[in-house]
Amino acid sequence: MLPENLKWYFPSNIAQAVKLISQPGVMLHAGGTRILKTQSQKISALVDVCNLKLNYIKHNKHTFHLGSAITFGEVIKYSKDNNCLKMLGSALTQAASTPLRNRITIGGSIKDFPLWSNLYAPLIALDAKVDVRGNKAGIFSIEDYVTEGIIKSKHIVKEIIINDDGSLIWKVKRFALLKFEYPIFNIAIALKVKNKIIQDAKLVITGVKNRYKRLKHAEKVLIDKQISSETFSEAEKFIEPKFISDYKYSSSYKETAAKVYFNDLLNEILKDNL
Amino acid sequence: MKASFIINNSSKELELNPNETLLSVLRKNGFTEVKCGCNEGECGACLVLLEEKSVNSCQVLAMSVQNKNIKTVKGIGTFHDPNLIQKIFASAGADQCGFCSPGMVISAYNLLKENPNPTDEEIVEGLDGNLCRCTGYVKIIEAVKRTSNVLQENNLNAE
Repeated sequence: MLPENLKWYFPSNIAQAVKLISQPGVMLHAGGTRILKTQSQKISALVDVCNLKLNYIKHNKHTFHLGSAITFGEVIKYSKDNNCLKMLGSALTQAASTPLRNRITIGGSIKDFPLWSNLYAPLIALDAKVDVRGNKAGIFSIEDYVTEGIIKSKHIVKEIIINDDGSLIWKVKRFALLKFEYPIFNIAIALKVKNKIIQDAKLVITGVKNRYKRLKHAEKVLIDKQISSETFSEAEKFIEPKFISDYKYSSSYKETAAKVYFNDLLNEILKDNL
Repeated sequence: MKASFIINNSSKELELNPNETLLSVLRKNGFTEVKCGCNEGECGACLVLLEEKSVNSCQVLAMSVQNKNIKTVKGIGTFHDPNLIQKIFASAGADQCGFCSPGMVISAYNLLKENPNPTDEEIVEGLDGNLCRCTGYVKIIEAVKRTSNVLQENNLNAE
């Protein structure tokens, strides 16, 4: 249970918020679903983001800026109404439920790379960037955000930046037995295709050892090739994600399931594009 | 301590602790139409509309929604002046024990406002945050479809 003498702060700008969260026991509060799940007694104060005006989606041609306080529900609605950000919208639709998606925020699902987040696979596949404020401020690729220690520093995610001109061929899938369960893994495939030739490919899986993996060998096989069953069969030989066994599923079960899912998704791409 | 909320279009000052959920605060201040089911955000019994969007009130810390518009199922329609959704739920036999019904009505209301003519699949998706242990969902889905048909026939909206 959260402490009864919990303090609340409502800063009016990001600099104030960063200063507050640098103190021990002080956490950021946006949707609050993670805080209520963990109910940690170590939290002494919450810094609410409601006055920071971070619940926006702006775009300039094909560059989208998603404020970190925007909810999954708002992103899904935006993507449907504006016929854009479809890959992201599709990934978010697979998570939780309608009322929970009206509270879960983009920032909350990125900060600290939580186990239940569906967001990382599509964001890595989209080459998204994170605008961070705090000890290590700057704009970083999602991969650098995770691997370069920024994620462990005291910081606020201001926004996510995504370039999406709608031309990607993409698939996203989440593997969980129930919608409310934490995903066992998430897969995202994004192909940039011009004149039927794959110019760029991203194959991402999260939930593996070291949290996520770009399947770079498989990606290399795809580049400069046509979409065909031969090309995809060749690439699939290099899809070997490594998982850790847990009390529910063995690593070999997860590895087999991941390969089946990749195969399914690549076959769907084949079907859609022949 | 006390904090201000706008509940069913009426400004209220409610007694609360800073660590309390919206569900707990609403119920202890007399809004018992908001039901406590799982307290984990999975059953939907505690749904309310927060700024016209359905949320699990057990997953919202009350202090974070001060001065926001909150609607419970009684804000959609009352015993003496029920909303069309509530009337049709009753006439369609869409409740048995009735415990999930406030949450179901909130979800149906939310759905029909956004999408007045949903397909069966869209109805199931729109109610994806609501569990019912009694009915098997058939009559609930029928009730939502019937409401949608009446709204379409009479050119009305869910409100």
